[in-house]
Amino acid sequence: MLSYIVRRLLIGVLSLFGASIIAFTLTRIIPSDPADMWMGPHATVEQIERAHVELGLDKPISVQYCIYMSKFLRGDWGISIVTKQPVLRDLARYLPASIELIVFGMLVGFAVGIPLGILSAAKPGRGMDHISRVFAITGVALPSFWLAMLLQLVLGKELSLFPLIGRVDLLIEIMNPIRRITGLYVFDSLITGNFAALKDALWHIVLPGLTLAMYPLGLATRMVRTTMLEVLREDYIRTARASGVREEKVLTVYALRNALGPVLTVGALTFGYSLVSTFLIESLFAWPGLGRYAAKAIVSVDYPAIMGVTLLVAAFYVILNLGADLIQAVMDPRIRLS
Amino acid sequence: MKKGISVFLFRMGLASLFLVLTVFTLSIVVIAQELQVAVHLQGAEVVPYWDPSDGASGEIGLMNNLYEALLRYDAATNTFTPILATSYEQSEDAKTWTFKLREGVKFHTGNVMNAHAVKASIDRTIERGRGSSYIWSPVDSIEVIDDYTIRFHLRQPAPLDLVVAAGYCAYIFDPAYCDHDWFIAGNDSGTGPYTVESSEGSEKVITKKFDDYWGGWEGKHFDRVVFLSVSEASTRRLMLETGQADFCEQLPPTDIEALQDNLAVRVEVNPSFQNLMVLYNNQRTPLDNALVRRAMSYLIPYEDTVAVGLGGYGYVSRGVIPYGLWGYSDRVETFTYSPTVAKALLTQAGYPDGGFKFLLTYPAGYEDIRKTVELWRAACAELNITLDTRAMPTAERNAIARSPDPAKRQDIYLLYWWPDYANPDSFLSGMFYTQERPAYNLGYYSNPVFDALIDYAITLPTGSQEAIDMMVELQNILQRDAAGIAVWDMQYLRAMNTSLQGYVDNAAYPNVVFWYDCYRE
Repeated sequence: MLSYIVRRLLIGVLSLFGASIIAFTLTRIIPSDPADMWMGPHATVEQIERAHVELGLDKPISVQYCIYMSKFLRGDWGISIVTKQPVLRDLARYLPASIELIVFGMLVGFAVGIPLGILSAAKPGRGMDHISRVFAITGVALPSFWLAMLLQLVLGKELSLFPLIGRVDLLIEIMNPIRRITGLYVFDSLITGNFAALKDALWHIVLPGLTLAMYPLGLATRMVRTTMLEVLREDYIRTARASGVREEKVLTVYALRNALGPVLTVGALTFGYSLVSTFLIESLFAWPGLGRYAAKAIVSVDYPAIMGVTLLVAAFYVILNLGADLIQAVMDPRIRLS
Repeated sequence: MKKGISVFLFRMGLASLFLVLTVFTLSIVVIAQELQVAVHLQGAEVVPYWDPSDGASGEIGLMNNLYEALLRYDAATNTFTPILATSYEQSEDAKTWTFKLREGVKFHTGNVMNAHAVKASIDRTIERGRGSSYIWSPVDSIEVIDDYTIRFHLRQPAPLDLVVAAGYCAYIFDPAYCDHDWFIAGNDSGTGPYTVESSEGSEKVITKKFDDYWGGWEGKHFDRVVFLSVSEASTRRLMLETGQADFCEQLPPTDIEALQDNLAVRVEVNPSFQNLMVLYNNQRTPLDNALVRRAMSYLIPYEDTVAVGLGGYGYVSRGVIPYGLWGYSDRVETFTYSPTVAKALLTQAGYPDGGFKFLLTYPAGYEDIRKTVELWRAACAELNITLDTRAMPTAERNAIARSPDPAKRQDIYLLYWWPDYANPDSFLSGMFYTQERPAYNLGYYSNPVFDALIDYAITLPTGSQEAIDMMVELQNILQRDAAGIAVWDMQYLRAMNTSLQGYVDNAAYPNVVFWYDCYRE
């Protein structure tokens, strides 16, 4: 197992190296002059030339890449052209907010989606199956920005049940600020005993979290249903049923355990994808996450930020996929790591 | 028995937790009621530049509450309010300016503001050479006369009172606390009424009142001001409607219309010094022919662009200097929408059947400009002129516009322009003075007569009749050449909580709320 992990990590490093070359080349081949963003909107000729030198744009692309990577490996990920802050500091600031939101959304999505998928597969073609399929298709097909605005309008504005934006109420932030440890507000407020902030942070995450949960919910329902239906046709399931094993146990232990493999893999991919694909949800809820940061970086051709986000997300993909494979191997004895 | 005790203890635990949470929440509510907190919303980043020497952008709203300049200019009355300077005088040739400084002013760091600090602040801003620091370009040297008197020696006559009152790069800060890395970590060292309490990236800054502020805290003021970036206009509107925000910088006209009937929200429409500019590529055929440029200018449906693009909240421009700024004059020649005149001009230029295709680039994300461009494109199509319109991020279109190869440049470049301080010269020099390597002269206009007149105009006393006449003359040269034209002068649409009092819009400080002057009624 250890050699497998080491081998996968080495392949992961090579993948990151490849991703860095592709991202660097793509951002540089687009004709772009970020001097105004760097120096100010009315930059003079002298300021523009100085910006080119400071940003290293006066050098050949290959030299720029070498300089970037040598600094990158030493922990200097460059300065964002938009925020003027070190990219690493920006990522450390925005990543926890995204992770918190995605974890919440995926927990809700999978917690509801997996049981729905099981119920659907248990009695295919019956009422519950139809309901869960409608639910699943709606979850996958519903535009997240539309759902976000609907939730804001109904639950936020009209019913005043949930806050419209942000991670925590401004008054809580002023009166009872959360001591930043991990940047995950729910976790930080919990371990520091800041219960007012904890309650408020949970309250704030509901609407964006529900919006985000709809996609994994639909996905999990569909995938669990499909894989469960396949597994339920296997000989060992028939044997278990013939041996008098209770149907609940057949479904939740024997079938589900073997059906969860693909769900885990897709879950890992969805998590990585959500890191930057949630920018619309983050924008609507003014959630200071990585997706919003990435979207701004792309629109502004912010090279250092684009590179930082790309490599970070690529690293997440590598680690999450590896994690999913390992968990799958533990859960399913048929899978051998080699 | 044991089970019964466990259940009892569990229930008691739950009840205690509930009690603690309730008391805690109530205490926060009580304290919050005493605390006056204002929330200022803006669409873009709250603080793209933390360093007070570097600013040139959306941080103006925050920075003018953290930092102060020597004077403040009132665009409506054309007068100056003393801030860190109590009085000033200029020499007859406007090349020497002496300022008396206010005594007893403290920086947020606790140090005392004096002439040495003023000199060090401005010297640092000049030396860094970033953002709008070029506003100080006329300054040759700064001399400290005594602790509270400072003298500026200029290379050429310049309106230094306007410069020291600029909304960007004119801030005075504590020279003992001016490390760039310290600033960008979210710190400030100004003298303003508010100081940074906490920040979250460039999206949220919470400020608190500075207890030792020289103006004192008598009367009604806010204790905290939160500056918040909310990029979605629909969310900003919802926040205003639900009372979660006090002030919103700029909402789309459709949202403003919808808010007009909301009693909880007050809408103000104010003049601005911002206009939409069209720069023709003066070096490329057929736009190198002034007749063609003039024909194109007669094809813009000006009134419709204001009605559709701005929802009626603006004025058709008259010359490149916007309405309200000195130098604006009805003596400036203007274009009107007239396809007949355009057709005649094209015929005169030798292109009676049109047949051109022009690449027009404009900044992405501006719905008002997109609508204007669409209207213009439709009008051009009537005369067999095709506008290939492309909305692009600024960085990408500037790479095209500044390409060393003129063949790769665009034909028409649209941009919003506003001055760094209340100075009309910005609209003339910035976009039309000859530039060998273009920065913002992206129409590549070059006219030695125009350049010479600009050189002379900047030596004239600010706002004098001769200076105004010169501004009119310069604008008429541009209009006759149709080097580039302004389409509209926009108005700023402000939406705020009805209970917010004390707000006065000042076009010289776009999007700035001087929160010290405001209170909740």
